[in-house]
Amino acid sequence: MTDLQKLRIGLTSLAVLAWAVAPLLVERSLLDVLNFSAILAIGGLGVGLLLGQCGIVNLGQSAFYGIGAYATAYGTTALGLPASAAMLIGMASAAAIALAIGWPMLRLGGFYLALATLAVGSIAGVLFFEWDWLTGGTLGVGGIPKLVVAGIELAEPMHYHYFIWPVVAGLSWLALNLIHSRQGLALRAMRDAAPAAEVLSIDLHRLKTVVFVISAVLGALAGSLFAHYVSFVSVQSFTVERSILFLLVPVVAGARSVPGIVIGALFVGLVPELLSALGDMHQVLFGLALVLVVTLLPGGITGLTTRWLARKEPA
Amino acid sequence: MPSSLILQAVLAGITSGFVYALIGVGIAVIFRGSHIVNAMQGEFAVVGALVAVFASAGAGLPLPLAATLGVAAGAGLGVLIDLLFVRPMKRRKASEESFLLLTIGLAFTLSAGALYFAGRDSHLLPPIVEGVYAIGGATIPNHALWLIALAVAVVAALRLFYRRTLLGLSMAAASADPDGATTIGIDVNRARLLTFLLGGGVGAVAGILVSPLIAMNYHMGIVYTLKGFAAAILGGIANPLGAVVGGIVLGLLESLAAVGFPSGYRDGVAMALLIVIMIVMPNGLIGRAGRVGG
Repeated sequence: MTDLQKLRIGLTSLAVLAWAVAPLLVERSLLDVLNFSAILAIGGLGVGLLLGQCGIVNLGQSAFYGIGAYATAYGTTALGLPASAAMLIGMASAAAIALAIGWPMLRLGGFYLALATLAVGSIAGVLFFEWDWLTGGTLGVGGIPKLVVAGIELAEPMHYHYFIWPVVAGLSWLALNLIHSRQGLALRAMRDAAPAAEVLSIDLHRLKTVVFVISAVLGALAGSLFAHYVSFVSVQSFTVERSILFLLVPVVAGARSVPGIVIGALFVGLVPELLSALGDMHQVLFGLALVLVVTLLPGGITGLTTRWLARKEPA
Repeated sequence: MPSSLILQAVLAGITSGFVYALIGVGIAVIFRGSHIVNAMQGEFAVVGALVAVFASAGAGLPLPLAATLGVAAGAGLGVLIDLLFVRPMKRRKASEESFLLLTIGLAFTLSAGALYFAGRDSHLLPPIVEGVYAIGGATIPNHALWLIALAVAVVAALRLFYRRTLLGLSMAAASADPDGATTIGIDVNRARLLTFLLGGGVGAVAGILVSPLIAMNYHMGIVYTLKGFAAAILGGIANPLGAVVGGIVLGLLESLAAVGFPSGYRDGVAMALLIVIMIVMPNGLIGRAGRVGG
């Protein structure tokens, strides 16, 4: 076993242990923050797949996050649908919309595409605000029922904690499988040498669209889980800032690493909370921390450990 | 529909069009001089306007001096960003995405900083000249006329600078071909520093000119950045003059859309247009230059 594998197994078991005992050790408010980190991780996983595997900067995840959240909010309150049906409607609508806008849009590249996704996010923000028959506008939609899993109502942060992190783990496993599949190889080929991949008759445009749709579905799922968790959604949760947070999740940790997404989500979720003791200044410090990560650690936090191990033991 | 309503919308559209044009010109200046897409151009406007507001209303300085301080703050911020972040990253040959992420992070930081120092309130600057000017049943604030005149002057000066002066030409050369420029004795780092100084200054001018008409607050940077991008891309991003055409087209479409649609959709219309234009007209409305960096 190489050092890297040992480290991976060690860290994974530590993480599982920390997950299992966390509700006993930490306060309810911190558990709350951890649950939000898990929601960030699910939405960020999608953005991370786009960034890490396709090199696409997605600044519009808040649109799909909102679609999922409002599908759950409207579906479960106004239409009285079961939670799973509303969630599926949210993911299906997100997929359909991502396909419809992604197909023409993904012909763009580089920052033009990043800008287009940012525009998508801000158009979605306008629509969420204007379509108040559906979204409740700034007043929002309240009274969204809590999720019920295996007969247990997930009412407390602790219940949600034991539910959502296994979901994150499951989705990460699926993402890892995707990356290591034939399609994943094609993705990497596309990212690293697009013309060569094209020569090998990989349909780049189709592949990018597929990943964009997957990312949107993950965003919608995160939105639905968020809506059930907080029971109340309003437009303030689906702004461009939210899209930036979703993008930061993979950026902080190194976009190519799937476990890194969890680290990134914990960073983006926890650091502002830890800094909040400093008052209003904390947002400035959080912003600076991000700028420093981008400037000093090109591979993110996980990139740093990988680099350190590579230096220690040249493979 | 009464024609005066349309005329009013056209006047308002042209006015906001020139603001978007100035932001877009700033983005084009920085793109031309560094091949960086600056996602924090709107923050230059916010910082410039807020500094001017605090210098005039807070410290009681006369308006021209306060405005100068605001522009200096924008230019100084540009210089700092180049020295602290862009230069080390250029040395490391960081990727295009990293620069985009850098400017997004900076936008986030500066907007939080503006919230910290200026609070949640919106701030107005006094206009250059009070009152309104009546044209055929519609009115335009006198300040808006000044805004348009000054914006035209800034863009014309920039064009002369890039076309006619040795410094301007060398700045364009330093970005187009850094190695070639170095061999003929152009200091590439210095050229990029000046680019950021210029871009920051122009951004601040935009913010200061618009704040007597639309109050400035900490979270307006991102909106201006997006509109400026739309203007710059409509006109072809490498062409500063194109941003003026793009800005006016965008401003007019927005305000005419507000006549037909509920006004809340204004920003949505502009953004949808941005996406369509990028897909359908990759080189902008008047541009010929290839799409570099995409």
